[in-house]
Amino acid sequence: MDKITNRYGRILIHLALVGISVFAVLPFLWSVLNSIKFPVEANAVVPRLWGFDPTAFNFAKLWLFVRGTAYQGPVDEFRPVGIAFLVVIFALIALYRINKRKERISERTVGAIISAVIVLMLLLVPRFVDVSKFYGYLINSIIITVATLVVSISIGCLGGYALARYSGALGMVILIAALGFRALPRIAFGLPFYYMGQILGLYDTHLLMILVLVAVNQPFTIWMLRGFFMDIPTALEEAAMIDGANRLTTFWKVIIPITWPGIITTSLFTLLLAYNEFLLGRLLLQSNWTLPVAIASYTSGEDAAYRTIAAAASVSISIPVIFVIIFFQKYLVRGLSAGAVKG
Amino acid sequence: MKRNVFLAFISPSVIVMTIMMVVPLVTAILLSFNYITYSNLNEPSFVGLRNYREILSDPAFWKSFRFTVVFILVTVPAELVLGFLIALLIDQIRYGRGIYIAAILIPFIITPVVGTLMYRSMFDRGGLYYHLLERWFGYEFLLTTGTVRFLILSHGIWYVTPFAVVSLFAGLQTLPQQTMEAATMDGAGVLRKIWSVVIPHLRTIIVFILLIGIMDSYRVFDSVLVMSRSNPVFDVDTMMYYTFKVATSVQRLGMANAVSVITVIGILVVLIPFLVVTYRQQKEVR
Repeated sequence: MDKITNRYGRILIHLALVGISVFAVLPFLWSVLNSIKFPVEANAVVPRLWGFDPTAFNFAKLWLFVRGTAYQGPVDEFRPVGIAFLVVIFALIALYRINKRKERISERTVGAIISAVIVLMLLLVPRFVDVSKFYGYLINSIIITVATLVVSISIGCLGGYALARYSGALGMVILIAALGFRALPRIAFGLPFYYMGQILGLYDTHLLMILVLVAVNQPFTIWMLRGFFMDIPTALEEAAMIDGANRLTTFWKVIIPITWPGIITTSLFTLLLAYNEFLLGRLLLQSNWTLPVAIASYTSGEDAAYRTIAAAASVSISIPVIFVIIFFQKYLVRGLSAGAVKG
Repeated sequence: MKRNVFLAFISPSVIVMTIMMVVPLVTAILLSFNYITYSNLNEPSFVGLRNYREILSDPAFWKSFRFTVVFILVTVPAELVLGFLIALLIDQIRYGRGIYIAAILIPFIITPVVGTLMYRSMFDRGGLYYHLLERWFGYEFLLTTGTVRFLILSHGIWYVTPFAVVSLFAGLQTLPQQTMEAATMDGAGVLRKIWSVVIPHLRTIIVFILLIGIMDSYRVFDSVLVMSRSNPVFDVDTMMYYTFKVATSVQRLGMANAVSVITVIGILVVLIPFLVVTYRQQKEVR
């Protein structure tokens, strides 16, 4: 489009965009504010934006158990653990940022280090602190999300590549069928799985949840990956195959490394879809809740103290998502627009 | 690629989709002809079309159908129009695009249950919007069926518009420069250009957004559960929520499956034209 060159016009556009952004982000900021207020202040008739005592009370109450009972008041013994936790997180971010500029270590190694440290931390935390049930829900969410991600991307890459390179009618049929499945409401799969899970004894297990999530997200995954594989010129793999490599080696050694950014994009969406899934978890899990299912239990409470805890839970659940937006925005935008631009 | 290689590569994906999607769908159809509650899970009794008859004569089902249609008719056009306007605004500026897009994306990326809860807390007593409405307009935001519907609809727009913004913004970046210049030479005004050049250029993206928008609005569930606080006083069921209620509070599993079979048929009727068009398009690409 033609650009408006008038200075006041441009200022007006920026003002409008700031307004829209604020409207988009405000509920999140409001929850952050509520999560650091005491219940009395959060329920005040005239809400205050500043001038209240910030507190970590709600987060402590959400995440911690003290000597077998729910957290009641400030306990200093957790402070060193908390500080250590923050230091490690900042160190990881610093490592990522510095390495991004200088590229001393390859991105994969950094990724491996970061994931190893995170896993180690998650395993160590319960040894030092008494954690509440909510911590268990976090672990469930992580297990289900990571397993779904790994399985659906591995089989999705194979499928997407095959669909990008095969020109027979069968490929088209599979693609259109997948699109049809993408449209179906999840409850249509959830209810029979509830029934089958009860009969087979898989109800309330991680395994069932992972399998269902892989399947439900598979149409989306193969469509998106197929798009990225189609962008890779066939000449590359033909050259490799003339040199004597077979399909699988070519795929692994030549195609995957070039398509890597596309695979990251797809992984991000798979990750978000698995992490955010509520309905299937609500139907298929009874005690091994994931985070979204757990937080829904705060939704009907009218109790005043619930509101600040719900805010703390909302903020805690959103932190990983906010990280994804900050660090992977480029990939997200690419993924959201890829489907659209290619039609 | 040869056929047998193709089959080898595609098989894991197809096997997973068949076992985990085709099998449950067939199971759903079979279950829908049976009377099943939580006490006779292992020995369902066959009742033929009784479940379907009960549903189609249940006024609550038709109410949920109407509200779902209203939800689609409100959120999808609003998403398109607002998304297009915001995309045009972002396209106008040079600095800070990334920050605006990141901020605007937050409602769409955040866990839907959490986003709904956050949005709702703005209208709770002690929330910012509640306070401002009372202060500026003297309006007390009480929860009634009407206001809960308003919350669900406005949250729907807040949640889904970012998707349209990002897609349309990407489309605007590929606008053919020559056509735009030619239009300028012909003396076309801004509105005329938008109508005759920009919108035709974005046609496929608009269809894509409509398709995804209808699909996703049709299965709105999370926000209904959170906004109504699972409270049956509010008459705000959508079709998914109605199905969920039949399965959980009415405890009729067979009947719930019948509802979901009906919803599947409903969405397929809407989608088949789209699927045919996509099939033709993809065939042309080859």
